[in-house]
Amino acid sequence: MTTGSIITMIIVLGGLWGGFAWLLRSAIRSEEHRDKGSGPQSTTG
Amino acid sequence: MSEQREQFTSRWGLIMAALGMAVGTGNVWRFPRIFATNEGGAFLIPWLFFLFAWSIPLLILEMGMGKKTRKGLVGAFGTLIGRRHAWMGGFVAAVTTMITFYYSVVAGWCLRYFFTAVSGGLSRLSDADAAQQAFEHFATSGWALPFHLLAFGLGAWIIHRGVVRGIEKANKILIPLLAILLMVAAVRALTLPGAERGLQFMFAIDWSALGDYRLWLEGLTQSAWSTGAGWGLLLTYSVYARERGDLVRNSLVIGLGNNSMSMLAALAVLPTVFASFPTFEQAFEVATYSGPAATGLTFVWIPILFQEIPFGTFFSAVFFLALTAAALSSLIAMIELITRILMDLGMVRRRAIGVVFAAGFAGGVPSALSLNFFSNQDWVWGLGLMVSGGFFAYAAIRYGLNRLRADLINLPGNELTLGRWFNYLLGILVPVEFGVMLVWWSVQSFSWGEAWWNPFAITNLGTCLFQWGIAVVVLLAINRWLSERTLGPAGTHPGQGGTP
Repeated sequence: MTTGSIITMIIVLGGLWGGFAWLLRSAIRSEEHRDKGSGPQSTTG
Repeated sequence: MSEQREQFTSRWGLIMAALGMAVGTGNVWRFPRIFATNEGGAFLIPWLFFLFAWSIPLLILEMGMGKKTRKGLVGAFGTLIGRRHAWMGGFVAAVTTMITFYYSVVAGWCLRYFFTAVSGGLSRLSDADAAQQAFEHFATSGWALPFHLLAFGLGAWIIHRGVVRGIEKANKILIPLLAILLMVAAVRALTLPGAERGLQFMFAIDWSALGDYRLWLEGLTQSAWSTGAGWGLLLTYSVYARERGDLVRNSLVIGLGNNSMSMLAALAVLPTVFASFPTFEQAFEVATYSGPAATGLTFVWIPILFQEIPFGTFFSAVFFLALTAAALSSLIAMIELITRILMDLGMVRRRAIGVVFAAGFAGGVPSALSLNFFSNQDWVWGLGLMVSGGFFAYAAIRYGLNRLRADLINLPGNELTLGRWFNYLLGILVPVEFGVMLVWWSVQSFSWGEAWWNPFAITNLGTCLFQWGIAVVVLLAINRWLSERTLGPAGTHPGQGGTP
């Protein structure tokens, strides 16, 4: 593989997978943080 | 009578369900072939650009509409922009419903190939010609019917169990399973001798190719079809979202997660193809082989190629199980979309699911028996999704983009909020993309040798206009009934911007 291809691979895969993992983690953490202060959630509206 | 509406128990549950909606056969089946056909690495640039310029804005809009109105598509459009526009939600629902009919057939094909892979049956296929004959015989001889029934039955059974015990639980299993299976297949592919040639093809960018407008239009089309933006599926799931929860961040997770899965699938398929052939030309021909109803790479070549690598039977079973999980997780979102609309019309859930199951099986029978019919439906309603996306953008503009951000998106408690720039994205860029894409696909069809106006051709403009026209006429005729059943008699509901 050429250096350019390796750099592109790192940027694309790192950006996609890293971005996805970071956003998912922060979404779950923020919910846990909020739920700590508000008690259990009902599953029916 | 007020319906007791279930809600996803957690953000994780909603995100898994929404990822299941987005990640489907478009990621595992369509993406690797389209990626290869469109210059390899250069395709990544338009594909990623339109993730942010088409798919994510529409996902945000859908999520906002579902959470705000707590209604399926018909009720959501009627509530947001007025009762006389409820038919637009009906059109989006009609497009997704027609796709559901043949999508279940595809899910059945995946199931059948998974069973055949497990039993070792795929190893009896001697070459690509034999594999193609076997597929065509299966897909047109009636054998696809029981698998279509099984796939739709599985989907309906999951929906019958409800939002939490059905949709949420199934996706909490299917999506991690899909990710693990694709990772296993990708690691296997990347450790084959010669796999680096596949990586080189995937990530070498030919900058001059970016001057070709077709590359951009293919990138837009793939992003629109793969993320499920504009289908109304995320809108439907958002009806069951909890009040709290950041819909901008959730939409970003869904968009990036969908494209991450597509890359995993491409890493499982393309290095395997390139490792299997000594020359670039041979590998390229296989990677871009469309075959009958665009099934060539997945159902013709993958069974052959996986048999030739060590532990091939195991890895082909892994691949087809991943494909089945992807298909099923999207199919259940489609069944829920139709069920939700019937429930909004006053039907109880159990009965609505029964109606959807019966109609869904019957509606898929022609596609399960004829690849020409399947191709026609895929063409007409796949292109119809562009119109659906256009209707969503119209709804946003009509409602008012500043008002939309204030009422539907930038809600209290959001960690990410959208500024005025989002108005330009949703109000100008998305409609322009919709117009350009629709014109381009229509012009493309002029060159395919069939009279463009013939309403009974397989893939031309005439058959699209004919079938869309029927849907629009019927929906306009019943618009009043639809909106009254969904939103109550006129005068009892604000019909525009009100909270139901």
